[in-house]
Amino acid sequence: MIQPVRVVHFVNQFFGGIGGEEMAHVGVSLADGVVGASRALQQALGTQGTLLGTLIGGDNYVSEQRAEAIAAITGHLQNLRPDMVIAGPAFNAGRYGLACAEVCKAAQALGLQAVTGMHPENPGTLSYPAELLIVPTAATSVEMPTALAAMVRLALKLSRGEELGPAQVEGYLPRGLRRVYDRQRPGYLRALDMLQAKLRGEAFVTEVPMHAPERVTPATPIADLSRATMALVTTGGLVRKGNPDRQVASNATRYYRHTVAELRSLSGNDWEAYHSGYFNHIVNANPNYILPLNFLRDLEDEGTIGGVYEWIYALPGVSTPVAIARRLGKSIAEDLQAGGVNGCLLVAT
Amino acid sequence: MISAIYDLALTTGANRVIRGARIEHVCGDPNLGPEKDYAYGMRIVRTALEAVQTAVTGPTLFDPMDMALEREVSHAS
Amino acid sequence: MRLEMGTFPVHTITFGSQTRYQDGHLEVDKAAVLEAVQHDPRIATVDLEIAYPGESVRIWPVRDVIEPRFKVEGPGVTYPGICGRSITTVGEGRTHRLSGMGITEVSSVNWHDAGGDYVEIYLDMSGPWADLLPLSKLMHLCVVVEPDPGLGNEAQNDAVHKAALVVNDQIAAATRHLTPPEREIFELRQVDPTLPKVVYIWCVHSPQAMSGSPTAFCTATYGLTQLTPPWFLHPNEILDGALTGPYRTAFAMSWTVANNPLLLDLYRRHGVDWNFVGVIALRTEWTTQHEKQLMANQAAKLARQLGAQGALLTWDAGGNEFIEVVRTIQACEQLGIKTVFLTSEDDATDAAPTMLEPLPEADAIVSTTFFKTRTLNLPDMPPVQRVIGMQQKAIGPLRDQLVPTAGSLPPPPRYDDHYGFTTLSCIEY
Repeated sequence: MIQPVRVVHFVNQFFGGIGGEEMAHVGVSLADGVVGASRALQQALGTQGTLLGTLIGGDNYVSEQRAEAIAAITGHLQNLRPDMVIAGPAFNAGRYGLACAEVCKAAQALGLQAVTGMHPENPGTLSYPAELLIVPTAATSVEMPTALAAMVRLALKLSRGEELGPAQVEGYLPRGLRRVYDRQRPGYLRALDMLQAKLRGEAFVTEVPMHAPERVTPATPIADLSRATMALVTTGGLVRKGNPDRQVASNATRYYRHTVAELRSLSGNDWEAYHSGYFNHIVNANPNYILPLNFLRDLEDEGTIGGVYEWIYALPGVSTPVAIARRLGKSIAEDLQAGGVNGCLLVAT
Repeated sequence: MISAIYDLALTTGANRVIRGARIEHVCGDPNLGPEKDYAYGMRIVRTALEAVQTAVTGPTLFDPMDMALEREVSHAS
Repeated sequence: MRLEMGTFPVHTITFGSQTRYQDGHLEVDKAAVLEAVQHDPRIATVDLEIAYPGESVRIWPVRDVIEPRFKVEGPGVTYPGICGRSITTVGEGRTHRLSGMGITEVSSVNWHDAGGDYVEIYLDMSGPWADLLPLSKLMHLCVVVEPDPGLGNEAQNDAVHKAALVVNDQIAAATRHLTPPEREIFELRQVDPTLPKVVYIWCVHSPQAMSGSPTAFCTATYGLTQLTPPWFLHPNEILDGALTGPYRTAFAMSWTVANNPLLLDLYRRHGVDWNFVGVIALRTEWTTQHEKQLMANQAAKLARQLGAQGALLTWDAGGNEFIEVVRTIQACEQLGIKTVFLTSEDDATDAAPTMLEPLPEADAIVSTTFFKTRTLNLPDMPPVQRVIGMQQKAIGPLRDQLVPTAGSLPPPPRYDDHYGFTTLSCIEY
């Protein structure tokens, strides 16, 4: 006999029966009994799940006091020891969606499974791309029973250790994890089918959902450039002439760094480009085109910048898988930070 | 980031993007002859240095050829 | 433009005393054909060899596979413009083709000598690599040819590709006076005006930027490979080989272009499901944002002028060429033209995006799976009994290890089904 899965439900102040927008400031609490939307969840779970408790967090509290909120939620989860956390559904409520994302992430950090639900355009879908299981829902809670049923179905499957199928088959938002798949019908026919559907205004499903690119908080501007150390990085495939390091021309898995402490400029006698994605000969004659060392030296002399970092970093930015690019970029950034660099010019080809 | 295909840099999230000359010669242009090539490259680098001193809230283009060096670009995401 | 295409299916190929076709059997007078090739003083050595599907044979290096096509009536020649051939506009009259086979250009000549672009394709006639490629289901009449090594690279490219085209003419012309067993009329006839107008925007890599030369060898439009503004091509021109010549992958050969199933199905359903208005060939790999966006704007403008309500897009490359393609999609959508994009995908490790530039207008994409064979987790290909072409192959990330071609080999770097021949795709978790 399969044990019922032990579930904790997270809801906001409204779905927890505390109040509306005026109560969005409330902190995290464990509800007394089965309240609000949790009744519907308990019904959806039936005999297959046991609702251990409902955690309620005010929309504003969770988004504005995130660290405290997560600490409180984590504490409750550690006490309750569920197998599964179900958060929401948040429909199109943005702060609620963001809160659900945080709760699921915290649950996963404790080794628990987690499922949430929200409208595909809820900003909560952007918090942790690739990490969360999010069931797409309608925009409003009119569809609560449908949404909960879908979330429960997924949660039960997860809890039984069953492998999840692709997103569009199982009914969750695609997480960017793509695998080879035989669609049984040649690509050209699928393309023409899709075009017909689109022209007729009929529904179609793109085979490659576009994901919004990640946004990075901009670094604070340099306050005093005349005291700043500037570093130079290039993905133009700069190598020492003759490529003694044996860097590849594409599909790089590492970068190389070189010292320019004694150099005023890059000379074509000592450096060249080895990059299979563009015509290298112009840079071979003047490597400063992809790593403008000579200009920075002149600006250093002028007193406009404080100095040039002694290490330059280079790799060929062609056919590099994004996963590898992320790793290499992080490594270079850590180096620069450790080196006391204030700003960096990255030249891409 | 200095790039000749700057829109790609902006849509993929680079916050301070400087328009470079051409993929094959990003920081300058050999067709201008040595003096003007150097002036162009220097202008690109100075624009980059302007950018690192400028507060931005998201992907922003700094075009060395613009009179105003900054133009905020908004992207749907 | 009305083109009658006569098809002669080929079931066997042998060498014999004459070049002739009879009941599916192609006999080739090797001596006569080689002599025709050797009229060109730029040719140093040439030989012909035959490979059948299923054999333990590997062909390397494969520069192009050309379907034998020959104009029997009407202006111009097939594969116009390239290698000095007549540039007369094609697409009318009657053209004969030999199906089930390819004329395969095998030579050590590389695309250009600026570095970065290398001939990478080998074809296996059996085994896992063969199973993945439509080309391995054809019989191959291989033209194993080397040019005078004293020639510059572009002259070498011209010479060896011309050799393959001479063989094309010799072989296909054998059907000149014969009645084709299969005939099909290709015409963009007037159709029900309520049918939606559809254009095919065909994006083609130009080697100009990579090689530093406007005349470098690659896929050509009427023989021109350089970066030019968008071309309007009637689909009959493509059937007559106006878009021809190889690029990098087994799916970017003259054969796959002339037999593009997307083009053919679009064409055959003209008047049934849509009004097919033609092809816009867009050359890619311009090297400034300005130029790329200009091409996109102009291609979309041309599509609109053609009255297109829908557009299909394909491309054949892998890097910044994507920008022209996706910005054309954006420009079309902004003009109200509904687009569908057929494309392969890049490495998705760690949930990485598989498209270079994620513009929201590209909302209807058909995927032909990952293009890197490494991402497809393909094994090394097994040894073979016979090699047609070069007996050694360079492998390794710096291409500096020489190994026997007949031995176990890593697959070529790119699979890349540009035109949707196969059913492989990707799906997201």
